[in-house]
Amino acid sequence: MPGRTRPIEKFAEAVAKCSAEASVYGKCIIADYNGVYKDKCLTEFMKLKDCYTAAAKRR
Amino acid sequence: MKPVSLRPFLPRPALRRRLPREFRHYALQTSGVPTLQVFNDRIKHLQRERAASDAEASRRVDYLRDEVANRLCERLLDITRHFPSVLDLGANACNIARALTAPNPDSPALSTRLSHLTSADTSHTFLHRDVDLPFNALLPAHTRTVLPPADTPLPFKPQSFNAILSSLSLHWVNDLPSLLSQINHILKPDSPFIAAMLGGDSLFELRTSLQLADLDRRGGVSTHVSPLADVRDMGGLLTKAGFKLLTVDVDDIIVDYPSVFALMTDLQAMGESNAALTAEKSGLRRDVLAATEGIYRELHGNGGESVPATFRIIYMIGWSEGDGQSKPLPRGTGQVNMKDILGGGEIK
Repeated sequence: MPGRTRPIEKFAEAVAKCSAEASVYGKCIIADYNGVYKDKCLTEFMKLKDCYTAAAKRR
Repeated sequence: MKPVSLRPFLPRPALRRRLPREFRHYALQTSGVPTLQVFNDRIKHLQRERAASDAEASRRVDYLRDEVANRLCERLLDITRHFPSVLDLGANACNIARALTAPNPDSPALSTRLSHLTSADTSHTFLHRDVDLPFNALLPAHTRTVLPPADTPLPFKPQSFNAILSSLSLHWVNDLPSLLSQINHILKPDSPFIAAMLGGDSLFELRTSLQLADLDRRGGVSTHVSPLADVRDMGGLLTKAGFKLLTVDVDDIIVDYPSVFALMTDLQAMGESNAALTAEKSGLRRDVLAATEGIYRELHGNGGESVPATFRIIYMIGWSEGDGQSKPLPRGTGQVNMKDILGGGEIK
């Protein structure tokens, strides 16, 4: 669809700017991937989420 | 007692009415056995129609289908025959037709070995996407047939094809046993069925990352990647459908993508998005998506800028029964003791 960016593309760009936070979060999860439970890595995820929301707003 | 004929008592139409030949089909499944529905056929159809309607994006993601079609057609090279009539079942964008016309360094293009190719698919848009491209002119004779919806019988007459090919579409079929036996019926005796389908651990990286992200973000797992048939099942299914001289093998194609988003965008453009009946209607949540990106890169990433995705392709060849095929001897007819040939002593 020319001339129109899909919302998901904007989101993907914003997440791509937060590779450091995403990496920290990913490492936290795979440290013990047989014992993942809800909100196991909540603090790491919130940092990632803060980063991509900010990145999405900047543009 | 004199036998009484029931004939005069029957209503006239019951005697006369007979279905035309085209509408008669083999009874393929014993009644009362329900088919297990895994995929939503309607959603799958809409996804494929939508994907094909953007021809440019759809052609950009043809890399997987073209590669598999080429590898599939290489297998056809091993059979030194001329095929008067060939069916491509689940043709997508006629990728097999294109692969058949591709120039071959050692021998003339494969399309010279067949007289008539029928490409059949349920999606009209997909089937006619490349109708104007030059490869169409290279085929001797080519028909595009739009198939009826997935659960209706195939509209072909019994024993009408000398070979049936199928590339990357069988993995969306709900009732694979029935389809395979229909394929066996529409093949002429002693003719090959050559197919490639996605199976086994395809996209296991995506599957596992999504599961981990789902567990952490939402505390449970949901179906985001459709289930696929296993290599071990295919041999059994082909045998049940009545195919002989089976060959089943597996090939992994690993594609590197810049990110998980790129992988998902490509899958969507191929029309290969999830269509499992148990899938959530709302789709993926953004939180889970962002989490998946982080986990995928750490768990499976190449360490640099790219992430790999594995496509496991199951290739299978089965032959319809015919005269002159070598068959296994009946049990107990062996004349030679295997121990005499292979050696080996007593089991201690």
